[in-house]
Amino acid sequence: MTALVQVENLGRLFGALWAVNGVSFAVERGELLGLIGPNGAGKSTLYNLLAGALTPTRGEIVFDGQRVTGWKSHQMARIGMARTFQIPKPYRRLSVVENVMLTAFQRRKSVRSARAFAEEILAEVGLSDHALAPVTTLTVGLLKRLEVARALALEPKLVLFDEIMAGLTPSEVGAMTSFVSTLPARGITVIWVEHVLHAIMRTATRVMVLDRGQLIANAAPKAVARDPAVIKAYFGEEMSLA
Amino acid sequence: MTRNPGRISLTPTRGTLSLFEIALLVICIVLVAAPIPQNLQDVIVLTFLWAGLATAWNIAGGYTGLISFGHAAFFGIGAYTSTILLVRMNVTPWAGIWCGGLLAALCGAILAVICARLRGPFFILSTLAAAEVIRIAALNWPSLTGGPEGLAISPSADAMNMVFASKHAYLALTLGYLLLTYVLTKLIDGSRYGYYLFATRDDEDAASAAGVNPLAVRTAALMLSAALSGIGGSLFAQYFLYLDPTSVISPELSFQFALLPAVGGLGTAIGPVLGSFLITPMSELLRSYLGSKVAGLHLAIYSALLIVVVLYFPSGIAGAVSRLLRRGGGKP
Repeated sequence: MTALVQVENLGRLFGALWAVNGVSFAVERGELLGLIGPNGAGKSTLYNLLAGALTPTRGEIVFDGQRVTGWKSHQMARIGMARTFQIPKPYRRLSVVENVMLTAFQRRKSVRSARAFAEEILAEVGLSDHALAPVTTLTVGLLKRLEVARALALEPKLVLFDEIMAGLTPSEVGAMTSFVSTLPARGITVIWVEHVLHAIMRTATRVMVLDRGQLIANAAPKAVARDPAVIKAYFGEEMSLA
Repeated sequence: MTRNPGRISLTPTRGTLSLFEIALLVICIVLVAAPIPQNLQDVIVLTFLWAGLATAWNIAGGYTGLISFGHAAFFGIGAYTSTILLVRMNVTPWAGIWCGGLLAALCGAILAVICARLRGPFFILSTLAAAEVIRIAALNWPSLTGGPEGLAISPSADAMNMVFASKHAYLALTLGYLLLTYVLTKLIDGSRYGYYLFATRDDEDAASAAGVNPLAVRTAALMLSAALSGIGGSLFAQYFLYLDPTSVISPELSFQFALLPAVGGLGTAIGPVLGSFLITPMSELLRSYLGSKVAGLHLAIYSALLIVVVLYFPSGIAGAVSRLLRRGGGKP
Protein backbone atom coordinates (compact mmCIF):
# COMPACT_ATOMS: atom_id res chain seq x y z
CA MET A 1 0.00 0.00 0.00
CA THR A 2 1.20 3.54 -0.77
CA ALA A 3 1.97 6.11 1.90
CA LEU A 4 -1.03 7.86 3.47
CA VAL A 5 0.46 11.28 2.84
CA GLN A 6 2.97 12.17 0.16
CA VAL A 7 4.20 15.77 0.05
CA GLU A 8 6.49 16.92 -2.78
CA ASN A 9 8.41 20.21 -2.80
CA LEU A 10 5.60 22.03 -0.97
CA GLY A 11 5.93 25.80 -0.71
CA ARG A 12 3.87 28.77 0.38
CA LEU A 13 4.84 32.37 -0.21
CA PHE A 14 3.57 35.21 2.02
CA GLY A 15 4.61 38.43 0.32
CA ALA A 16 8.34 37.94 -0.14
CA LEU A 17 8.67 35.26 2.54
CA TRP A 18 8.54 31.53 1.98
CA ALA A 19 6.73 30.41 5.16
CA VAL A 20 7.11 26.84 3.94
CA ASN A 21 9.76 26.14 1.33
CA GLY A 22 10.53 22.99 -0.63
CA VAL A 23 9.19 20.59 1.98
CA SER A 24 8.95 16.93 0.93
CA PHE A 25 8.01 14.01 3.17
CA ALA A 26 5.82 10.94 3.37
CA VAL A 27 3.70 9.59 6.22
CA GLU A 28 2.98 5.88 6.42
CA ARG A 29 -0.28 4.53 7.77
CA GLY A 30 -0.15 3.95 11.51
CA GLU A 31 2.66 6.39 12.20
CA LEU A 32 2.74 8.86 15.07
CA LEU A 33 4.83 11.59 13.56
CA GLY A 34 6.12 14.43 15.71
CA LEU A 35 6.55 17.82 14.07
CA ILE A 36 8.67 20.29 15.98
CA GLY A 37 10.51 23.51 15.34
CA PRO A 38 10.98 26.98 16.80
CA ASN A 39 8.17 29.55 16.72
CA GLY A 40 7.67 30.89 13.22
CA ALA A 41 9.27 27.83 11.64
CA GLY A 42 6.20 27.23 9.46
CA LYS A 43 4.49 24.41 11.37
CA SER A 44 1.09 26.04 11.38
CA THR A 45 1.44 27.05 7.73
CA LEU A 46 2.34 23.47 6.86
CA TYR A 47 -0.77 22.28 8.72
CA ASN A 48 -2.94 24.83 6.95
CA LEU A 49 -1.55 23.66 3.60
CA LEU A 50 -2.18 20.00 4.41
CA ALA A 51 -5.69 20.67 5.75
CA GLY A 52 -6.69 22.84 2.82
CA ALA A 53 -7.01 26.09 4.79
CA LEU A 54 -4.25 27.57 2.60
CA THR A 55 -3.47 26.94 -1.06
CA PRO A 56 0.14 26.00 -1.79
CA THR A 57 2.16 28.38 -3.96
CA ARG A 58 3.92 25.34 -5.38
CA GLY A 59 4.31 21.63 -4.79
CA GLU A 60 1.98 18.67 -4.60
CA ILE A 61 0.04 16.90 -1.85
CA VAL A 62 -1.22 13.35 -2.27
CA PHE A 63 -3.53 12.00 0.44
CA ASP A 64 -4.73 8.40 0.54
CA GLY A 65 -3.76 7.85 -3.09
CA GLN A 66 -5.52 10.98 -4.32
CA ARG A 67 -3.92 14.21 -5.59
CA VAL A 68 -5.46 16.85 -3.31
CA THR A 69 -3.32 19.93 -4.03
CA GLY A 70 -5.52 23.04 -3.82
CA TRP A 71 -8.48 21.28 -2.21
CA LYS A 72 -10.53 23.24 0.32
CA SER A 73 -10.78 22.48 4.06
CA HIS A 74 -14.22 20.91 3.94
CA GLN A 75 -13.14 18.64 1.07
CA MET A 76 -10.10 17.46 3.02
CA ALA A 77 -12.26 16.82 6.08
CA ARG A 78 -14.66 14.74 4.01
CA ILE A 79 -11.90 12.42 2.80
CA GLY A 80 -10.66 11.84 6.33
CA MET A 81 -8.20 14.54 7.34
CA ALA A 82 -9.01 16.03 10.76
CA ARG A 83 -7.24 18.83 12.56
CA THR A 84 -7.26 20.76 15.81
CA PHE A 85 -6.62 24.49 16.08
CA GLN A 86 -3.75 25.85 18.14
CA ILE A 87 -6.09 28.51 19.51
CA PRO A 88 -9.29 26.55 20.14
CA LYS A 89 -12.13 27.53 17.83
CA PRO A 90 -15.30 26.24 19.50
CA TYR A 91 -18.79 27.07 18.26
CA ARG A 92 -19.46 29.57 21.03
CA ARG A 93 -23.23 29.38 21.15
CA LEU A 94 -23.45 25.57 21.17
CA SER A 95 -23.02 23.10 23.99
CA VAL A 96 -19.98 20.85 24.29
CA VAL A 97 -21.74 17.79 22.89
CA GLU A 98 -23.18 19.83 20.02
CA ASN A 99 -19.68 21.01 19.15
CA VAL A 100 -18.62 17.41 18.71
CA MET A 101 -21.83 16.41 16.90
CA LEU A 102 -21.01 18.80 14.08
CA THR A 103 -17.96 16.78 13.16
CA ALA A 104 -19.75 13.49 13.79
CA PHE A 105 -22.33 14.46 11.14
CA GLN A 106 -19.76 13.70 8.43
CA ARG A 107 -20.33 9.98 8.89
CA ARG A 108 -23.66 9.90 10.79
CA LYS A 109 -26.53 11.70 9.19
CA SER A 110 -29.17 11.51 11.91
CA VAL A 111 -29.04 13.84 14.90
CA ARG A 112 -29.66 10.91 17.24
CA SER A 113 -26.75 8.80 16.03
CA ALA A 114 -24.40 11.78 15.80
CA ARG A 115 -25.26 12.70 19.38
CA ALA A 116 -24.71 9.15 20.61
CA PHE A 117 -21.34 8.97 18.86
CA ALA A 118 -20.34 12.42 20.14
CA GLU A 119 -21.09 11.25 23.68
CA GLU A 120 -18.83 8.21 23.19
CA ILE A 121 -16.00 10.47 22.05
CA LEU A 122 -16.55 12.85 24.97
CA ALA A 123 -16.28 9.92 27.36
CA GLU A 124 -12.96 8.95 25.77
CA VAL A 125 -11.40 12.37 26.29
CA GLY A 126 -12.96 12.81 29.73
CA LEU A 127 -15.50 15.51 28.88
CA SER A 128 -18.69 13.59 29.67
CA ASP A 129 -19.43 15.69 32.73
CA HIS A 130 -19.41 18.80 30.59
CA ALA A 131 -21.49 17.47 27.68
CA LEU A 132 -24.38 19.88 28.21
CA ALA A 133 -22.31 22.84 29.35
CA PRO A 134 -22.03 25.89 27.12
CA VAL A 135 -18.48 25.92 25.69
CA THR A 136 -17.94 29.39 27.12
CA THR A 137 -17.68 27.84 30.59
CA LEU A 138 -14.74 25.56 29.70
CA THR A 139 -11.18 26.13 30.90
CA VAL A 140 -8.30 26.16 28.40
CA GLY A 141 -7.42 22.57 29.24
CA LEU A 142 -10.99 21.43 28.60
CA LEU A 143 -11.16 23.45 25.38
CA LYS A 144 -8.04 21.63 24.15
CA ARG A 145 -9.72 18.32 24.91
CA LEU A 146 -12.79 19.52 23.04
CA GLU A 147 -10.57 20.23 20.02
CA VAL A 148 -9.28 16.66 20.19
CA ALA A 149 -12.81 15.28 20.57
CA ARG A 150 -14.04 17.21 17.55
CA ALA A 151 -11.17 15.98 15.40
CA LEU A 152 -11.68 12.35 16.43
CA ALA A 153 -15.44 12.54 15.82
CA LEU A 154 -14.60 12.76 12.12
CA GLU A 155 -13.26 9.18 12.36
CA PRO A 156 -10.27 10.43 10.41
CA LYS A 157 -7.56 8.52 8.58
CA LEU A 158 -5.13 11.25 9.57
CA VAL A 159 -5.32 13.77 12.39
CA LEU A 160 -3.19 16.89 12.72
CA PHE A 161 -2.78 17.86 16.38
CA ASP A 162 -1.62 21.43 16.96
CA GLU A 163 -0.31 22.02 20.51
CA ILE A 164 -3.10 20.18 22.26
CA MET A 165 -1.14 20.16 25.52
CA ALA A 166 -0.39 23.87 25.91
CA GLY A 167 -1.97 25.02 29.15
CA LEU A 168 -2.50 21.53 30.56
CA THR A 169 -1.42 20.47 34.04
CA PRO A 170 1.36 17.83 34.28
CA SER A 171 -1.12 15.06 35.08
CA GLU A 172 -3.30 16.11 32.17
CA VAL A 173 -0.21 16.03 29.93
CA GLY A 174 0.45 12.46 31.01
CA ALA A 175 -3.12 11.36 30.35
CA MET A 176 -3.25 13.08 26.98
CA THR A 177 0.09 11.57 25.93
CA SER A 178 -1.04 8.05 26.67
CA PHE A 179 -4.33 8.70 24.94
CA VAL A 180 -2.71 9.99 21.75
CA SER A 181 -0.30 7.05 21.69
CA THR A 182 -3.28 4.64 21.43
CA LEU A 183 -4.62 6.26 18.26
CA PRO A 184 -2.36 4.59 15.62
CA ALA A 185 -3.51 1.17 16.82
CA ARG A 186 -7.08 2.29 16.07
CA GLY A 187 -6.17 3.06 12.47
CA ILE A 188 -5.71 6.80 13.00
CA THR A 189 -2.40 8.13 11.75
CA VAL A 190 -1.19 11.14 13.73
CA ILE A 191 0.96 14.17 13.00
CA TRP A 192 1.61 16.04 16.20
CA VAL A 193 2.97 19.55 16.70
CA GLU A 194 3.90 20.07 20.33
CA HIS A 195 6.27 22.11 22.46
CA VAL A 196 6.03 19.60 25.31
CA LEU A 197 9.01 17.76 23.87
CA HIS A 198 9.30 14.85 26.24
CA ALA A 199 5.80 13.75 25.23
CA ILE A 200 6.75 13.79 21.55
CA MET A 201 10.11 12.14 22.12
CA ARG A 202 8.53 9.34 24.13
CA THR A 203 5.64 8.50 21.83
CA ALA A 204 6.54 9.48 18.27
CA THR A 205 7.74 6.85 15.81
CA ARG A 206 9.51 9.59 13.90
CA VAL A 207 10.16 13.29 14.33
CA MET A 208 10.38 15.97 11.66
CA VAL A 209 11.99 19.30 12.43
CA LEU A 210 11.03 22.45 10.60
CA ASP A 211 13.18 25.59 10.69
CA ARG A 212 12.58 28.76 8.67
CA GLY A 213 10.17 26.96 6.39
CA GLN A 214 12.48 24.07 5.61
CA LEU A 215 12.70 20.51 6.82
CA ILE A 216 16.06 20.17 8.59
CA ALA A 217 15.59 16.72 10.10
CA ASN A 218 13.35 13.72 9.59
CA ALA A 219 14.35 10.68 11.64
CA ALA A 220 13.74 8.60 14.76
CA PRO A 221 13.37 10.69 17.97
CA LYS A 222 16.74 9.65 19.37
CA ALA A 223 18.59 10.54 16.17
CA VAL A 224 16.81 13.89 15.95
CA ALA A 225 17.69 14.76 19.54
CA ARG A 226 21.39 14.25 18.71
CA ASP A 227 21.30 16.03 15.34
CA PRO A 228 23.63 19.09 15.57
CA ALA A 229 21.51 21.15 13.16
CA VAL A 230 18.40 20.52 15.25
CA ILE A 231 20.17 21.28 18.49
CA LYS A 232 21.39 24.58 17.07
CA ALA A 233 18.00 25.58 15.70
CA TYR A 234 15.77 24.46 18.49
CA PHE A 235 16.97 22.68 21.59
CA GLY A 236 19.94 24.84 22.40
CA GLU A 237 21.37 21.82 24.21
CA GLU A 238 21.20 18.07 23.79
CA MET A 239 17.85 16.60 24.69
CA SER A 240 17.92 14.17 27.54
CA LEU A 241 15.77 11.16 26.85
CA ALA A 242 15.47 9.76 30.33
CA MET B 1 -28.37 11.66 27.75
CA THR B 2 -30.36 13.73 30.23
CA ARG B 3 -32.48 16.44 28.71
CA ASN B 4 -33.02 18.57 31.81
CA PRO B 5 -36.42 17.08 32.54
CA GLY B 6 -39.05 19.40 33.91
CA ARG B 7 -37.29 22.55 32.85
CA ILE B 8 -39.66 25.21 31.60
CA SER B 9 -38.18 27.19 28.78
CA LEU B 10 -39.19 29.46 25.95
CA THR B 11 -36.42 27.86 23.97
CA PRO B 12 -37.04 24.12 24.38
CA THR B 13 -34.65 21.37 23.34
CA ARG B 14 -33.98 21.83 19.65
CA GLY B 15 -36.66 20.38 17.45
CA THR B 16 -39.30 19.88 20.15
CA LEU B 17 -42.48 21.89 20.77
CA SER B 18 -43.11 23.57 24.10
CA LEU B 19 -46.46 24.07 25.80
CA PHE B 20 -45.93 27.78 25.42
CA GLU B 21 -45.75 27.46 21.64
CA ILE B 22 -48.92 25.38 21.49
CA ALA B 23 -50.78 27.87 23.73
CA LEU B 24 -49.64 30.74 21.53
CA LEU B 25 -50.89 28.93 18.43
CA VAL B 26 -54.31 28.37 20.02
CA ILE B 27 -54.54 32.08 20.89
CA CYS B 28 -53.62 33.00 17.31
CA ILE B 29 -56.32 30.72 15.87
CA VAL B 30 -58.88 32.24 18.23
CA LEU B 31 -57.83 35.72 17.09
CA VAL B 32 -58.39 34.72 13.45
CA ALA B 33 -61.97 33.60 14.10
CA ALA B 34 -63.00 36.00 16.86
CA PRO B 35 -65.33 38.94 16.14
CA ILE B 36 -62.93 41.82 16.83
CA PRO B 37 -63.23 45.46 15.69
CA GLN B 38 -61.76 46.01 12.23
CA ASN B 39 -59.02 48.39 13.31
CA LEU B 40 -57.71 45.81 15.77
CA GLN B 41 -57.89 43.12 13.10
CA ASP B 42 -55.67 45.34 10.96
CA VAL B 43 -53.12 45.40 13.77
CA ILE B 44 -53.27 41.61 14.14
CA VAL B 45 -52.81 41.03 10.40
CA LEU B 46 -49.70 43.20 10.49
CA THR B 47 -48.49 41.46 13.64
CA PHE B 48 -48.80 38.00 12.03
CA LEU B 49 -47.19 39.22 8.82
CA TRP B 50 -44.27 40.83 10.63
CA ALA B 51 -43.81 37.80 12.86
CA GLY B 52 -43.46 35.70 9.70
CA LEU B 53 -41.09 38.20 8.08
CA ALA B 54 -38.96 38.42 11.21
CA THR B 55 -38.86 34.62 11.38
CA ALA B 56 -37.73 34.53 7.75
CA TRP B 57 -34.99 37.08 8.45
CA ASN B 58 -33.87 35.12 11.53
CA ILE B 59 -32.93 32.08 9.40
CA ALA B 60 -30.16 34.16 7.82
CA GLY B 61 -29.50 36.77 10.50
CA GLY B 62 -30.00 34.79 13.70
CA TYR B 63 -29.15 31.22 12.75
CA THR B 64 -26.43 31.78 10.17
CA GLY B 65 -25.04 35.10 11.37
CA LEU B 66 -25.77 36.81 8.06
CA ILE B 67 -27.04 40.05 9.58
CA SER B 68 -28.86 41.71 6.70
CA PHE B 69 -30.08 45.29 6.53
CA GLY B 70 -31.36 44.70 3.01
CA HIS B 71 -34.20 42.24 3.39
CA ALA B 72 -36.67 44.82 2.10
CA ALA B 73 -35.16 44.06 -1.31
CA PHE B 74 -36.39 40.45 -1.14
CA PHE B 75 -39.69 41.64 0.29
CA GLY B 76 -40.04 44.16 -2.54
CA ILE B 77 -39.08 41.65 -5.23
CA GLY B 78 -41.80 39.32 -3.96
CA ALA B 79 -44.36 42.11 -3.76
CA TYR B 80 -43.57 43.44 -7.23
CA THR B 81 -43.39 40.00 -8.88
CA SER B 82 -46.84 38.84 -7.81
CA THR B 83 -48.37 42.27 -8.40
CA ILE B 84 -46.84 42.72 -11.87
CA LEU B 85 -47.93 39.21 -12.82
CA LEU B 86 -51.47 40.00 -11.63
CA VAL B 87 -51.84 43.56 -12.96
CA ARG B 88 -50.02 43.16 -16.27
CA MET B 89 -50.52 39.48 -17.13
CA ASN B 90 -53.56 38.53 -15.08
CA VAL B 91 -51.74 35.68 -13.35
CA THR B 92 -53.42 34.72 -10.08
CA PRO B 93 -51.43 35.70 -6.97
CA TRP B 94 -51.94 32.14 -5.71
CA ALA B 95 -49.25 31.26 -8.29
CA GLY B 96 -47.58 34.69 -8.29
CA ILE B 97 -46.48 34.58 -4.65
CA TRP B 98 -44.43 31.44 -5.31
CA CYS B 99 -42.86 33.09 -8.39
CA GLY B 100 -41.99 36.06 -6.18
CA GLY B 101 -40.46 33.73 -3.62
CA LEU B 102 -38.38 31.99 -6.29
CA LEU B 103 -37.11 35.25 -7.75
CA ALA B 104 -36.23 36.53 -4.27
CA ALA B 105 -34.37 33.26 -3.58
CA LEU B 106 -32.40 33.72 -6.80
CA CYS B 107 -31.42 37.24 -5.73
CA GLY B 108 -30.49 35.84 -2.31
CA ALA B 109 -28.16 33.35 -3.99
CA ILE B 110 -26.52 36.08 -6.07
CA LEU B 111 -26.02 38.23 -2.96
CA ALA B 112 -24.56 35.28 -1.03
CA VAL B 113 -22.04 34.49 -3.75
CA ILE B 114 -21.03 38.11 -4.43
CA CYS B 115 -20.67 38.93 -0.73
CA ALA B 116 -19.14 35.55 0.18
CA ARG B 117 -15.89 37.13 1.32
CA LEU B 118 -17.48 39.87 3.40
CA ARG B 119 -17.94 39.49 7.13
CA GLY B 120 -19.61 41.43 9.93
CA PRO B 121 -20.13 45.13 9.23
CA PHE B 122 -18.96 44.77 5.64
CA PHE B 123 -21.61 42.18 4.88
CA ILE B 124 -24.24 44.37 6.55
CA LEU B 125 -23.24 47.38 4.45
CA SER B 126 -23.30 45.35 1.26
CA THR B 127 -26.86 44.17 1.96
CA LEU B 128 -27.92 47.77 2.60
CA ALA B 129 -26.36 48.83 -0.70
CA ALA B 130 -27.86 45.91 -2.63
CA ALA B 131 -31.34 46.83 -1.40
CA GLU B 132 -30.82 50.44 -2.50
CA VAL B 133 -29.85 49.19 -5.97
CA ILE B 134 -33.15 47.28 -6.17
CA ARG B 135 -35.15 50.26 -4.88
CA ILE B 136 -33.58 52.67 -7.38
CA ALA B 137 -34.10 50.18 -10.18
CA ALA B 138 -37.80 49.92 -9.23
CA LEU B 139 -38.09 53.72 -9.18
CA ASN B 140 -36.55 54.09 -12.62
CA TRP B 141 -38.23 51.29 -14.51
CA PRO B 142 -41.77 52.64 -14.87
CA SER B 143 -42.74 50.39 -17.79
CA LEU B 144 -42.42 47.41 -15.45
CA THR B 145 -42.94 48.74 -11.93
CA GLY B 146 -44.98 51.89 -12.49
CA GLY B 147 -41.99 53.88 -11.18
CA PRO B 148 -42.65 56.25 -8.26
CA GLU B 149 -46.41 56.16 -8.90
CA GLY B 150 -46.45 52.48 -8.04
CA LEU B 151 -48.97 49.80 -8.90
CA ALA B 152 -52.50 49.32 -7.67
CA ILE B 153 -54.45 46.07 -7.46
CA SER B 154 -58.18 46.20 -8.21
CA PRO B 155 -59.92 46.31 -4.80
CA SER B 156 -63.01 44.33 -5.83
CA ALA B 157 -63.18 41.16 -3.78
CA ASP B 158 -62.23 38.11 -5.83
CA ALA B 159 -60.79 34.95 -4.31
CA MET B 160 -58.86 34.19 -7.54
CA ASN B 161 -57.13 37.56 -7.20
CA MET B 162 -56.50 36.94 -3.47
CA VAL B 163 -58.59 40.00 -2.62
CA PHE B 164 -61.13 39.53 0.16
CA ALA B 165 -63.83 41.66 1.74
CA SER B 166 -63.47 39.96 5.11
CA LYS B 167 -60.51 40.61 7.40
CA HIS B 168 -60.81 37.04 8.64
CA ALA B 169 -59.45 35.83 5.30
CA TYR B 170 -56.37 38.04 5.65
CA LEU B 171 -55.93 36.96 9.25
CA ALA B 172 -56.00 33.32 8.15
CA LEU B 173 -53.64 34.05 5.24
CA THR B 174 -51.05 35.85 7.35
CA LEU B 175 -51.27 33.32 10.18
CA GLY B 176 -50.75 30.60 7.57
CA TYR B 177 -47.66 32.49 6.39
CA LEU B 178 -46.36 32.80 9.95
CA LEU B 179 -46.90 29.06 10.46
CA LEU B 180 -45.04 28.27 7.21
CA THR B 181 -41.98 30.24 8.30
CA TYR B 182 -42.18 28.94 11.87
CA VAL B 183 -42.52 25.27 10.94
CA LEU B 184 -39.58 25.55 8.53
CA THR B 185 -37.52 27.18 11.28
CA LYS B 186 -38.39 24.43 13.74
CA LEU B 187 -37.48 21.77 11.21
CA ILE B 188 -34.11 23.46 10.67
CA ASP B 189 -33.64 23.93 14.42
CA GLY B 190 -33.75 20.21 15.14
CA SER B 191 -31.84 19.02 12.09
CA ARG B 192 -28.30 18.47 10.89
CA TYR B 193 -28.70 21.45 8.54
CA GLY B 194 -29.55 23.66 11.49
CA TYR B 195 -26.29 22.70 13.13
CA TYR B 196 -24.46 23.52 9.89
CA LEU B 197 -25.94 27.03 10.08
CA PHE B 198 -24.91 27.47 13.73
CA ALA B 199 -21.39 26.21 13.01
CA THR B 200 -20.93 28.53 10.04
CA ARG B 201 -22.15 31.42 12.17
CA ASP B 202 -19.96 30.68 15.19
CA ASP B 203 -16.69 29.70 13.54
CA GLU B 204 -16.25 29.24 9.85
CA ASP B 205 -12.75 27.72 10.04
CA ALA B 206 -13.91 25.10 12.52
CA ALA B 207 -17.01 24.41 10.42
CA SER B 208 -14.97 23.73 7.29
CA ALA B 209 -12.57 21.55 9.28
CA ALA B 210 -15.67 19.53 10.20
CA GLY B 211 -16.48 19.03 6.52
CA VAL B 212 -19.11 21.77 6.27
CA ASN B 213 -18.92 23.93 3.14
CA PRO B 214 -19.53 27.44 4.50
CA LEU B 215 -20.34 29.03 1.13
CA ALA B 216 -22.98 26.40 0.37
CA VAL B 217 -24.50 26.79 3.83
CA ARG B 218 -24.61 30.58 3.66
CA THR B 219 -26.10 30.49 0.17
CA ALA B 220 -28.81 28.01 1.13
CA ALA B 221 -29.73 29.96 4.27
CA LEU B 222 -29.92 33.28 2.46
CA MET B 223 -31.99 31.73 -0.35
CA LEU B 224 -34.55 30.28 2.05
CA SER B 225 -34.70 33.49 4.07
CA ALA B 226 -35.10 35.56 0.89
CA ALA B 227 -37.77 33.27 -0.56
CA LEU B 228 -39.87 33.49 2.61
CA SER B 229 -39.40 37.27 2.74
CA GLY B 230 -40.54 37.50 -0.89
CA ILE B 231 -43.69 35.51 -0.14
CA GLY B 232 -44.39 37.89 2.76
CA GLY B 233 -43.94 40.82 0.38
CA SER B 234 -46.59 39.41 -1.96
CA LEU B 235 -49.04 39.04 0.94
CA PHE B 236 -48.31 42.63 1.97
CA ALA B 237 -49.16 43.85 -1.56
CA GLN B 238 -52.36 41.77 -1.59
CA TYR B 239 -53.40 43.27 1.73
CA PHE B 240 -52.73 46.95 0.95
CA LEU B 241 -53.60 46.56 -2.78
CA TYR B 242 -50.99 49.17 -3.60
CA LEU B 243 -47.21 49.29 -3.67
CA ASP B 244 -44.50 51.73 -4.64
CA PRO B 245 -40.72 51.51 -4.20
CA THR B 246 -40.74 53.53 -0.97
CA SER B 247 -43.41 51.45 0.73
CA VAL B 248 -41.88 48.04 -0.04
CA ILE B 249 -38.10 48.51 -0.46
CA SER B 250 -37.24 51.26 2.02
CA PRO B 251 -34.31 50.96 4.44
CA GLU B 252 -36.79 51.53 7.32
CA LEU B 253 -38.47 48.30 6.29
CA SER B 254 -35.12 46.50 6.24
CA PHE B 255 -34.34 47.74 9.75
CA GLN B 256 -37.70 46.45 10.95
CA PHE B 257 -36.76 42.99 9.61
CA ALA B 258 -33.63 42.99 11.78
CA LEU B 259 -35.11 44.78 14.76
CA LEU B 260 -37.96 42.40 15.63
CA PRO B 261 -35.73 39.30 15.96
CA ALA B 262 -33.14 41.35 17.87
CA VAL B 263 -35.78 42.44 20.38
CA GLY B 264 -37.34 38.99 20.63
CA GLY B 265 -34.13 36.94 20.71
CA LEU B 266 -31.77 36.25 17.80
CA GLY B 267 -31.24 32.67 16.73
CA THR B 268 -34.19 31.24 18.61
CA ALA B 269 -37.33 30.10 16.81
CA ILE B 270 -39.72 31.92 19.14
CA GLY B 271 -37.70 35.14 19.42
CA PRO B 272 -38.81 36.89 16.21
CA VAL B 273 -42.44 35.94 16.93
CA LEU B 274 -42.28 37.45 20.42
CA GLY B 275 -40.53 40.50 19.00
CA SER B 276 -43.30 41.11 16.50
CA PHE B 277 -46.11 40.32 18.96
CA LEU B 278 -44.71 42.98 21.27
CA ILE B 279 -43.42 45.64 18.90
CA THR B 280 -45.90 45.62 16.01
CA PRO B 281 -49.08 46.21 18.09
CA MET B 282 -47.19 48.69 20.25
CA SER B 283 -46.05 50.79 17.32
CA GLU B 284 -49.46 50.61 15.62
CA LEU B 285 -51.36 51.53 18.77
CA LEU B 286 -48.94 54.32 19.64
CA ARG B 287 -49.39 55.61 16.12
CA SER B 288 -53.19 55.55 16.24
CA TYR B 289 -53.56 57.04 19.73
CA LEU B 290 -50.74 59.57 19.74
CA GLY B 291 -49.94 60.12 16.06
CA SER B 292 -52.88 62.49 15.63
CA LYS B 293 -52.29 64.45 18.85
CA VAL B 294 -48.57 65.22 19.00
CA ALA B 295 -46.82 64.60 15.72
CA GLY B 296 -43.80 62.32 16.16
CA LEU B 297 -44.47 61.49 19.83
CA HIS B 298 -45.33 57.88 19.04
CA LEU B 299 -41.98 57.47 17.28
CA ALA B 300 -40.11 58.98 20.22
CA ILE B 301 -41.78 56.60 22.70
CA TYR B 302 -41.25 53.67 20.36
CA SER B 303 -37.55 54.48 20.02
CA ALA B 304 -37.12 54.92 23.77
CA LEU B 305 -38.68 51.49 24.39
CA LEU B 306 -36.33 49.94 21.84
CA ILE B 307 -33.31 51.44 23.55
CA VAL B 308 -34.48 50.01 26.87
CA VAL B 309 -34.87 46.55 25.35
CA VAL B 310 -31.49 46.63 23.64
CA LEU B 311 -29.75 47.89 26.79
CA TYR B 312 -31.36 45.63 29.36
CA PHE B 313 -32.27 42.51 27.38
CA PRO B 314 -29.33 41.94 25.03
CA SER B 315 -30.39 38.34 24.40
CA GLY B 316 -33.93 39.46 23.65
CA ILE B 317 -37.21 38.71 25.33
CA ALA B 318 -36.78 34.97 24.80
CA GLY B 319 -33.40 35.01 26.53
CA ALA B 320 -34.59 37.18 29.43
CA VAL B 321 -37.73 35.13 30.10
CA SER B 322 -35.83 31.84 29.87
CA ARG B 323 -33.34 33.10 32.45
CA LEU B 324 -36.18 34.25 34.70
CA LEU B 325 -37.93 30.87 34.50
CA ARG B 326 -34.68 29.05 35.20
CA ARG B 327 -34.02 31.20 38.25
CA GLY B 328 -37.59 30.69 39.50
CA GLY B 329 -37.41 26.92 39.06
CA GLY B 330 -34.01 26.59 40.72
CA LYS B 331 -30.77 25.89 38.88
CA PRO B 332 -31.12 22.83 36.60
